[in-house]
Amino acid sequence: MSEISALLLTFLREAWVALAGAFIAFALLAGIAQMLRVSSASVLGANLWVWESISALISIVVLGLFAFLGIPQIVSALQSTLPGAGGCGPISELGTLASGLIGGLAALRMLKAAFITMFSASIGGASSFANALIESGEALFGMILASAAIPLAAWFLGTC
Amino acid sequence: MFDPIMEQILSIARDAWAFMAGLLIVVALLGGLYYILQGTAGMAFGGSRMTSMAIIGVVGLIIIVLFAFLFLPQLGEMLKSFQPKPPF
Repeated sequence: MSEISALLLTFLREAWVALAGAFIAFALLAGIAQMLRVSSASVLGANLWVWESISALISIVVLGLFAFLGIPQIVSALQSTLPGAGGCGPISELGTLASGLIGGLAALRMLKAAFITMFSASIGGASSFANALIESGEALFGMILASAAIPLAAWFLGTC
Repeated sequence: MFDPIMEQILSIARDAWAFMAGLLIVVALLGGLYYILQGTAGMAFGGSRMTSMAIIGVVGLIIIVLFAFLFLPQLGEMLKSFQPKPPF
Protein backbone atom coordinates (compact mmCIF):
# COMPACT_ATOMS: atom_id res chain seq x y z
CA MET A 1 0.00 0.00 0.00
CA SER A 2 2.83 2.38 0.83
CA GLU A 3 4.46 1.70 -2.56
CA ILE A 4 1.22 2.54 -4.36
CA SER A 5 0.89 5.67 -2.27
CA ALA A 6 4.46 6.73 -3.07
CA LEU A 7 3.94 6.07 -6.78
CA LEU A 8 0.72 8.08 -6.93
CA LEU A 9 2.20 10.93 -4.93
CA THR A 10 5.25 11.04 -7.21
CA PHE A 11 2.91 11.29 -10.19
CA LEU A 12 0.96 14.11 -8.50
CA ARG A 13 4.21 15.92 -7.55
CA GLU A 14 5.43 15.83 -11.14
CA ALA A 15 2.06 17.15 -12.29
CA TRP A 16 2.36 19.98 -9.74
CA VAL A 17 5.82 20.97 -11.00
CA ALA A 18 4.64 20.91 -14.64
CA LEU A 19 1.52 22.92 -13.85
CA ALA A 20 3.51 25.50 -11.89
CA GLY A 21 5.93 25.91 -14.81
CA ALA A 22 3.11 26.31 -17.30
CA PHE A 23 1.44 28.77 -14.91
CA ILE A 24 4.48 31.09 -15.06
CA ALA A 25 4.56 30.90 -18.87
CA PHE A 26 0.87 31.76 -19.17
CA ALA A 27 1.14 34.50 -16.53
CA LEU A 28 3.71 36.24 -18.71
CA LEU A 29 1.60 35.73 -21.83
CA ALA A 30 -1.42 37.13 -20.00
CA GLY A 31 0.66 40.11 -18.93
CA ILE A 32 1.83 40.91 -22.44
CA ALA A 33 -1.73 40.41 -23.82
CA GLN A 34 -3.01 43.00 -21.35
CA MET A 35 -0.14 45.37 -22.17
CA LEU A 36 -0.98 45.04 -25.86
CA ARG A 37 -4.55 45.93 -25.01
CA VAL A 38 -3.41 48.93 -22.96
CA SER A 39 -1.25 50.29 -25.77
CA SER A 40 -3.88 49.83 -28.48
CA ALA A 41 -6.63 51.26 -26.26
CA SER A 42 -4.55 54.28 -25.32
CA VAL A 43 -3.87 54.99 -29.00
CA LEU A 44 -7.57 54.66 -29.78
CA GLY A 45 -8.48 56.80 -26.81
CA ALA A 46 -10.59 54.09 -25.16
CA ASN A 47 -10.21 54.97 -21.49
CA LEU A 48 -12.40 52.13 -20.21
CA TRP A 49 -10.30 49.50 -21.99
CA VAL A 50 -7.15 50.96 -20.47
CA TRP A 51 -8.54 50.75 -16.94
CA GLU A 52 -9.90 47.25 -17.54
CA SER A 53 -6.50 46.09 -18.75
CA ILE A 54 -4.67 47.70 -15.85
CA SER A 55 -7.00 46.03 -13.36
CA ALA A 56 -6.58 42.71 -15.22
CA LEU A 57 -2.81 43.15 -14.98
CA ILE A 58 -3.06 43.73 -11.23
CA SER A 59 -5.30 40.68 -10.86
CA ILE A 60 -2.70 38.59 -12.76
CA VAL A 61 -0.04 39.59 -10.24
CA VAL A 62 -2.39 38.88 -7.32
CA LEU A 63 -3.39 35.51 -8.79
CA GLY A 64 0.27 34.58 -9.28
CA LEU A 65 1.08 35.46 -5.68
CA PHE A 66 -1.99 33.58 -4.45
CA ALA A 67 -1.07 30.49 -6.48
CA PHE A 68 2.56 30.39 -5.43
CA LEU A 69 2.39 31.68 -1.87
CA GLY A 70 -1.19 31.01 -0.72
CA ILE A 71 -2.04 27.56 -2.09
CA PRO A 72 0.99 25.68 -0.64
CA GLN A 73 0.33 27.22 2.79
CA ILE A 74 -3.38 26.32 2.67
CA VAL A 75 -2.60 22.74 1.62
CA SER A 76 0.07 22.34 4.30
CA ALA A 77 -2.28 23.67 6.96
CA LEU A 78 -5.13 21.41 5.91
CA GLN A 79 -2.94 18.37 5.47
CA SER A 80 -1.84 18.66 9.06
CA THR A 81 -5.51 18.36 10.10
CA LEU A 82 -6.03 15.16 8.10
CA PRO A 83 -5.66 12.16 10.39
CA GLY A 84 -3.05 9.94 8.78
CA ALA A 85 -3.34 6.64 10.55
CA GLY A 86 -6.50 6.00 12.51
CA GLY A 87 -6.44 2.59 14.12
CA CYS A 88 -4.36 -0.33 12.96
CA GLY A 89 -4.16 -2.91 10.21
CA PRO A 90 -5.52 -2.23 6.73
CA ILE A 91 -7.64 0.71 7.87
CA SER A 92 -4.51 2.47 9.07
CA GLU A 93 -2.77 1.97 5.74
CA LEU A 94 -5.88 3.05 3.87
CA GLY A 95 -6.09 6.16 6.04
CA THR A 96 -2.48 7.08 5.27
CA LEU A 97 -3.03 6.51 1.53
CA ALA A 98 -6.27 8.49 1.55
CA SER A 99 -4.89 11.47 3.46
CA GLY A 100 -1.87 11.70 1.15
CA LEU A 101 -4.00 11.45 -1.97
CA ILE A 102 -6.62 13.90 -0.71
CA GLY A 103 -3.94 16.48 0.03
CA GLY A 104 -2.26 16.00 -3.34
CA LEU A 105 -5.46 16.11 -5.33
CA ALA A 106 -6.76 19.18 -3.50
CA ALA A 107 -3.46 21.02 -4.05
CA LEU A 108 -3.51 20.15 -7.75
CA ARG A 109 -7.13 21.20 -8.06
CA MET A 110 -6.43 24.59 -6.54
CA LEU A 111 -3.42 25.14 -8.80
CA LYS A 112 -5.46 23.98 -11.81
CA ALA A 113 -8.17 26.53 -11.01
CA ALA A 114 -5.57 29.29 -10.83
CA PHE A 115 -3.97 28.03 -14.06
CA ILE A 116 -7.28 28.04 -15.97
CA THR A 117 -8.00 31.58 -14.81
CA MET A 118 -4.54 32.68 -15.93
CA PHE A 119 -4.99 30.85 -19.25
CA SER A 120 -8.26 32.70 -19.91
CA ALA A 121 -6.50 35.99 -19.13
CA SER A 122 -3.66 35.12 -21.50
CA ILE A 123 -6.03 34.66 -24.43
CA GLY A 124 -7.53 38.05 -23.75
CA GLY A 125 -10.56 36.93 -21.75
CA ALA A 126 -11.64 38.31 -18.43
CA SER A 127 -9.38 37.26 -15.61
CA SER A 128 -12.04 35.59 -13.49
CA PHE A 129 -10.24 35.57 -10.18
CA ALA A 130 -13.52 34.71 -8.44
CA ASN A 131 -13.71 31.34 -10.23
CA ALA A 132 -10.28 30.34 -8.96
CA LEU A 133 -11.26 31.33 -5.43
CA ILE A 134 -14.55 29.39 -5.63
CA GLU A 135 -12.80 26.24 -6.86
CA SER A 136 -10.12 26.62 -4.18
CA GLY A 137 -12.87 26.95 -1.60
CA GLU A 138 -14.51 23.76 -2.87
CA ALA A 139 -11.22 21.87 -2.61
CA LEU A 140 -10.67 23.28 0.85
CA PHE A 141 -14.17 22.26 1.98
CA GLY A 142 -13.56 18.76 0.57
CA MET A 143 -10.40 18.46 2.64
CA ILE A 144 -12.22 19.58 5.78
CA LEU A 145 -14.95 17.00 5.13
CA ALA A 146 -12.32 14.31 4.56
CA SER A 147 -10.62 15.20 7.83
CA ALA A 148 -13.91 14.41 9.57
CA ALA A 149 -14.82 11.40 7.42
CA ILE A 150 -11.59 9.42 7.84
CA PRO A 151 -11.84 9.02 11.66
CA LEU A 152 -15.57 8.27 11.33
CA ALA A 153 -14.87 5.54 8.77
CA ALA A 154 -12.14 4.13 10.98
CA TRP A 155 -14.53 4.10 13.94
CA PHE A 156 -17.35 2.53 11.87
CA LEU A 157 -15.15 -0.19 10.39
CA GLY A 158 -13.66 -0.95 13.76
CA THR A 159 -10.29 0.04 15.09
CA CYS A 160 -7.89 -1.55 17.54
CA MET B 1 6.84 12.11 -16.96
CA PHE B 2 5.43 15.52 -17.88
CA ASP B 3 8.68 16.90 -19.34
CA PRO B 4 7.86 16.25 -23.04
CA ILE B 5 4.44 17.91 -22.63
CA MET B 6 6.02 20.83 -20.79
CA GLU B 7 8.58 21.27 -23.57
CA GLN B 8 5.76 21.46 -26.12
CA ILE B 9 3.77 23.94 -24.03
CA LEU B 10 6.83 26.12 -23.39
CA SER B 11 7.74 26.09 -27.07
CA ILE B 12 4.22 27.28 -28.00
CA ALA B 13 4.36 29.88 -25.21
CA ARG B 14 7.73 31.18 -26.48
CA ASP B 15 6.33 31.54 -29.99
CA ALA B 16 3.25 33.30 -28.64
CA TRP B 17 5.45 35.65 -26.58
CA ALA B 18 7.56 36.56 -29.63
CA PHE B 19 4.43 37.13 -31.72
CA MET B 20 2.79 39.34 -29.10
CA ALA B 21 5.97 41.31 -28.43
CA GLY B 22 6.25 41.95 -32.18
CA LEU B 23 2.59 42.95 -32.34
CA LEU B 24 3.08 45.31 -29.41
CA ILE B 25 5.96 47.02 -31.21
CA VAL B 26 3.90 47.33 -34.41
CA VAL B 27 0.91 48.79 -32.53
CA ALA B 28 3.21 51.20 -30.66
CA LEU B 29 4.84 52.32 -33.92
CA LEU B 30 1.46 52.87 -35.56
CA GLY B 31 0.28 54.77 -32.50
CA GLY B 32 3.44 56.86 -32.53
CA LEU B 33 2.92 57.66 -36.22
CA TYR B 34 -0.67 58.68 -35.51
CA TYR B 35 0.42 61.02 -32.72
CA ILE B 36 3.15 62.53 -34.90
CA LEU B 37 0.58 63.16 -37.63
CA GLN B 38 -1.71 64.74 -35.05
CA GLY B 39 1.13 66.88 -33.70
CA THR B 40 2.29 68.11 -37.10
CA ALA B 41 -1.29 68.86 -38.15
CA GLY B 42 -1.77 70.79 -34.93
CA MET B 43 1.43 72.75 -35.53
CA ALA B 44 0.44 73.49 -39.13
CA PHE B 45 -2.82 75.23 -38.27
CA GLY B 46 -1.84 76.56 -34.86
CA GLY B 47 -3.66 73.98 -32.72
CA SER B 48 -1.40 74.16 -29.68
CA ARG B 49 -3.62 71.90 -27.57
CA MET B 50 -3.66 69.27 -30.30
CA THR B 51 0.14 69.36 -30.51
CA SER B 52 0.65 69.15 -26.79
CA MET B 53 -1.82 66.24 -26.55
CA ALA B 54 0.09 64.47 -29.31
CA ILE B 55 3.40 64.96 -27.48
CA ILE B 56 1.86 63.65 -24.24
CA GLY B 57 0.46 60.67 -26.20
CA VAL B 58 3.87 59.77 -27.63
CA VAL B 59 5.49 59.99 -24.21
CA GLY B 60 2.71 57.85 -22.71
CA LEU B 61 3.10 55.26 -25.44
CA ILE B 62 6.86 55.05 -24.84
CA ILE B 63 6.23 54.61 -21.11
CA ILE B 64 3.71 51.81 -21.78
CA VAL B 65 6.09 49.93 -24.08
CA LEU B 66 9.02 50.33 -21.69
CA PHE B 67 6.79 49.16 -18.83
CA ALA B 68 5.77 46.07 -20.84
CA PHE B 69 9.32 45.12 -21.80
CA LEU B 70 10.95 45.85 -18.45
CA PHE B 71 8.23 44.96 -15.95
CA LEU B 72 7.00 41.65 -17.41
CA PRO B 73 10.40 39.87 -17.47
CA GLN B 74 10.94 41.01 -13.88
CA LEU B 75 7.50 39.67 -12.96
CA GLY B 76 8.44 36.33 -14.53
CA GLU B 77 11.69 36.21 -12.56
CA MET B 78 9.79 37.00 -9.37
CA LEU B 79 7.21 34.27 -9.98
CA LYS B 80 10.02 31.81 -10.84
CA SER B 81 11.70 32.55 -7.53
CA PHE B 82 8.38 31.99 -5.75
CA GLN B 83 7.67 28.70 -7.59
CA PRO B 84 6.75 26.34 -4.74
CA LYS B 85 7.77 22.74 -4.28
CA PRO B 86 4.85 20.28 -4.01
CA PRO B 87 3.34 20.82 -0.56
CA PHE B 88 2.30 17.15 -0.21
